[in-house]
Amino acid sequence: MLASARRWLYTTNHKDVGILYLITSIFLFAAAGVLALTMRTQLSVPGNTLLTADIYNQFVTVHGMLMIFWVLSPLAFGFANFIIPLQIGCRDLAFPRLNAMSYWFFLFSGVMMILSFFFGAAPDLGWTLYSPQTAALFTPTIGFNLGAGALILMTVSITMSSVNFLVTMLKMRAPGLKLRYMSVFSWAILITIFMMLYAFPSFLAAVVLLYVDRAFGTVYFSSIQGGSLLWDNVFWFFGHPEVYIVLFPALGIIADIIPTFARRPLYGAKYVIGAMVLVAMLSFAVWGHHMFVTGIGIVSTKLYTVTTIAISLPFDVMIISLIETLGMAKLRLKAPALFALGAVANFIVGGITGIFLASVALDYALRGTYFVVAHFHYLMVGASIIGLIGGLYYWFPKITGRMYDEKLAKIHFVISMIGFQILYFPMFLLLDMPRRVVTYTPDTGWGLLNLTATLGGFIFGGAQLLLFYNLYRSSRIGPPSGPNPWEAWTLEWALPSPPPPHDFDVIPTFSGDGTIRFGTSPGLPNGSGQPSGIGYPNGSSVKHDSSLLHSEGLSPWPILMAFAAFILFLGLTIGKPANPQPVSYQPFWPLIADGVILGVISLFGYSREKFTVHEDTHVESWPFKQVPNMKLGIWTFLGAEVIFFGVLIGSYFFVRTNDAAWPPAGTLFDIRNGFAMTLVLLTSSLTAIMALASARAGNRSGLIASLGGTLVLGAAFLYIKAGEWFSLGGSGVFQNYSLPATSYFITTGTHGVHVFAGMCMTVYLLANAIKGKYINGDHTALEHFGLYWHFVDIVWVFLFPLFYLI
Amino acid sequence: MNTNYLYLLIFAALIGETDIEVNLSSIIPAYNEYVTVLLGIAGTKAILIAMFYQHLRYEPKSLSTWVIVGLVIASLLMGLSFVQLHVGH
Amino acid sequence: MAVSSTQVQFDSLFGLFTYLALTVGIVVFSFLIYLIIRYREKPSSRQPSDTPILGRSPPSRGHSRTVILTLTLSTIIIVPLIIGSFGAVDKILTPPQNVCQGCAIEVTAHQFYWQFTYSNGTKPYRTVGILRVPVEQNIRLNVTSADVFHDFGIIGYDIKTDAIPGRTNTIWFYPDITGNFTIQCFELCGVGHATMKGTLMVMTQSAYSAWYNSTVVH
Repeated sequence: MLASARRWLYTTNHKDVGILYLITSIFLFAAAGVLALTMRTQLSVPGNTLLTADIYNQFVTVHGMLMIFWVLSPLAFGFANFIIPLQIGCRDLAFPRLNAMSYWFFLFSGVMMILSFFFGAAPDLGWTLYSPQTAALFTPTIGFNLGAGALILMTVSITMSSVNFLVTMLKMRAPGLKLRYMSVFSWAILITIFMMLYAFPSFLAAVVLLYVDRAFGTVYFSSIQGGSLLWDNVFWFFGHPEVYIVLFPALGIIADIIPTFARRPLYGAKYVIGAMVLVAMLSFAVWGHHMFVTGIGIVSTKLYTVTTIAISLPFDVMIISLIETLGMAKLRLKAPALFALGAVANFIVGGITGIFLASVALDYALRGTYFVVAHFHYLMVGASIIGLIGGLYYWFPKITGRMYDEKLAKIHFVISMIGFQILYFPMFLLLDMPRRVVTYTPDTGWGLLNLTATLGGFIFGGAQLLLFYNLYRSSRIGPPSGPNPWEAWTLEWALPSPPPPHDFDVIPTFSGDGTIRFGTSPGLPNGSGQPSGIGYPNGSSVKHDSSLLHSEGLSPWPILMAFAAFILFLGLTIGKPANPQPVSYQPFWPLIADGVILGVISLFGYSREKFTVHEDTHVESWPFKQVPNMKLGIWTFLGAEVIFFGVLIGSYFFVRTNDAAWPPAGTLFDIRNGFAMTLVLLTSSLTAIMALASARAGNRSGLIASLGGTLVLGAAFLYIKAGEWFSLGGSGVFQNYSLPATSYFITTGTHGVHVFAGMCMTVYLLANAIKGKYINGDHTALEHFGLYWHFVDIVWVFLFPLFYLI
Repeated sequence: MNTNYLYLLIFAALIGETDIEVNLSSIIPAYNEYVTVLLGIAGTKAILIAMFYQHLRYEPKSLSTWVIVGLVIASLLMGLSFVQLHVGH
Repeated sequence: MAVSSTQVQFDSLFGLFTYLALTVGIVVFSFLIYLIIRYREKPSSRQPSDTPILGRSPPSRGHSRTVILTLTLSTIIIVPLIIGSFGAVDKILTPPQNVCQGCAIEVTAHQFYWQFTYSNGTKPYRTVGILRVPVEQNIRLNVTSADVFHDFGIIGYDIKTDAIPGRTNTIWFYPDITGNFTIQCFELCGVGHATMKGTLMVMTQSAYSAWYNSTVVH
């Protein structure tokens, strides 16, 4: 028992992490579903008093947040974790400990969100958190701060996963597995991660700004120049790609399932993939349709109408291709196929109604009504959840080695689909009813439709009990499934069910004529559907000393780091209000200190741990052939940072161009300070690159001097900045909370935190350099640090003119 | 060219450009042009650092795509929200 | 029955969208159902010749002309949707310049009530909850908020606009019949969101003038 706990807490194996994600998200699905059923009960009759408005608002908010962030994506990434390495022929992700850490950050962030209920009130302004009602002035509860902290932690988890999966999928594919030979599920995940990488930093910036507004009394989202429109833009810029992020994995699963059960290849596979890529790109240009009636003007509303309606075109191609796949097929209507087809059917309804909402003219009537609620639930539940459930049944045999009860699964399907339609279709007819209302009056006549929807809700919710029961029972006593019960052809089905800890005995090779070679066997005998050759006799699993292999790859640092972050964020968000007006919050120093100490210890332990990741040399890695994994990871991360700082700078532009009376350059901030900081930081870039050059030349003293110089210059930068801030505080600039002061403080402050982090890295590198490291050929750490440090310098290169010179 | 020498040359250029930036307002009185040229100079500094200190000039082009895509997407946010505020009212 | 200009315009555009949506939906659904039924596995089913096998990449399948056909048809369908939307939003976003005395009203959203301000030229007259307007006249509303992000919507009129602090959004309509209509908030603004209601009272011209002269002008 203890050994089992140790395994699950310390595992870094992608299959284990995948199972952890799946189980956690299923639990949270049930929890968020209970919230929904409670809301539906409240709304079943007019004038109901089961829930007060206060509680209802919290439920509707947390329901949305849990489902979107803690159910839909993690379910998808549970599958991605388990299946992607198997489909692309590698043994684990590029950074296994980072992967485990992503999971623990995700788990603790979920705990934090649920904890928010117990600190006054959970967030209660919708998952969309519109401003300025989210300002501390209007919503002073501490629970809201915890919710914000939870969202930030969750975003950190997602960013870690994005970097990890991108490096893995771009650099660790089996030999010969060119990108175009990847399955559509793999492609869907790859495209999803691209969107995640570039969308989530915008959300992070938004929530960080919101947190700072609340904690320090700044006015980004409560001022007139910023306010509602600034939040709308920054949030929905993330929010729209986000809805495709939660949809695409399900589409990918559907695109793997339907061909398998139709016994024919996917129709137009390359067009389906092309369509997904197109949608991903366009998804960053449509967000204004969430702002149609905010007053953005006729040019913008027409622009967004066109881009939003146009984004339906690639989806048309996807749906037609999926349907065409059934032509001349031999369709086996087992549970995975039923759910996949049901998801397609629901997607058609959801997608078509999206076109209604894409028209700005119609939106003037439909905005904020249950028509919108119906539209997105048809997609998020009807397509995404139904598709993901299809994936659960599809991959259940592979994950557990057992088969589920097919008859029960079919009953589950029928009841779910019927319940779903009864639950959501009436909402299209409630196109006059506002969203997020705790109750309504009898004279509206909305009672019957609401009652119908509630009944549908209980039918749909109740049906999921069949799912839970089926999966649980079958995992214990289901019949063995064998490696490939569906006679499928993607690579995961070549492995035993469940796969051994190391997945492949020998990494398979894809050859140009389309055959896959396993081990040294020349390929497959015709029609057997099952690979023969070394290590894969039909139906049996390979004998390896699995206990030995499994104890490799255990690490306590991921969970400890995540716990440290959790404690730190609790400390940042749990504090009581400080000033009455404007409301701000005291940090809770004991927890912050604990979090920082544990975090430093964990970071130290993480970096010192001898954790070997075997990097195969013969892999498919276009277009990053010469680029080592770690370097690719860092550049990927910097791409996300571009968006993060881009949004901070963009917010500054937004409020500034919206404000006629902005102080001219040099009046508020002393240009000499900025100039000095710029010179200091540029020089530190020079010393950083000199450090790398010294290491390459084997010059120990040069290395130590350069690193020391970098450290001193970084400290000088922060020293000048501290002096500047003290004098600004002394002359009352900060206390007036004006936007020029606020935007300066937040943007250069975030940059300053990055400088500080860089200095911590420098200390670590310097200590190692003094011990004699890096001069004997292993200077990659210096190079990686340099990439980060020069990026931080580049950001300042823009901040200096933006804040001091214009 | 000896790489250390190159790094010093780039550094000199960066310092020189910073000097120009600080004095630019007296060279270009028209505000919009001033801002454009100023940010353009900042952009060239960024490119120098990226190409030579971050070594992107010598790396496969694919590595630059991460930040380039990020820049394009961030510009989309700034550009379209500018249109929202100031165009077509 | 025409209730207001905005409702008429919405019904006609929504009708166009619904008609096309149902057509497309029925065609696509029928195709999907047909294929499922026709090609489901039966003892008499033929084994497809291109069933992929594990160990070989699946053969390519499909024609580019299907994609072109799909895109062309889709474009043909969405063009009238875009044109209709553009025409409609042009009308929505060009409020009439000249309206009758008492037909231009400021709407201010508060947590959790609606305040209406009439100006009689000298000083403003504020009232809460009931928005009185005359029938068969262009009515122009300037909507803003005194505190948080609300949304002003008139049920039955198919028109609404966001009420944002520091910004003013203008909407307009032409009521066709007298009667009372519910005003409600359509953006979650706090605990009183569901009860933030008002009444649009469309009066006959004479009744309106009587009220206006006795109340506002005073």
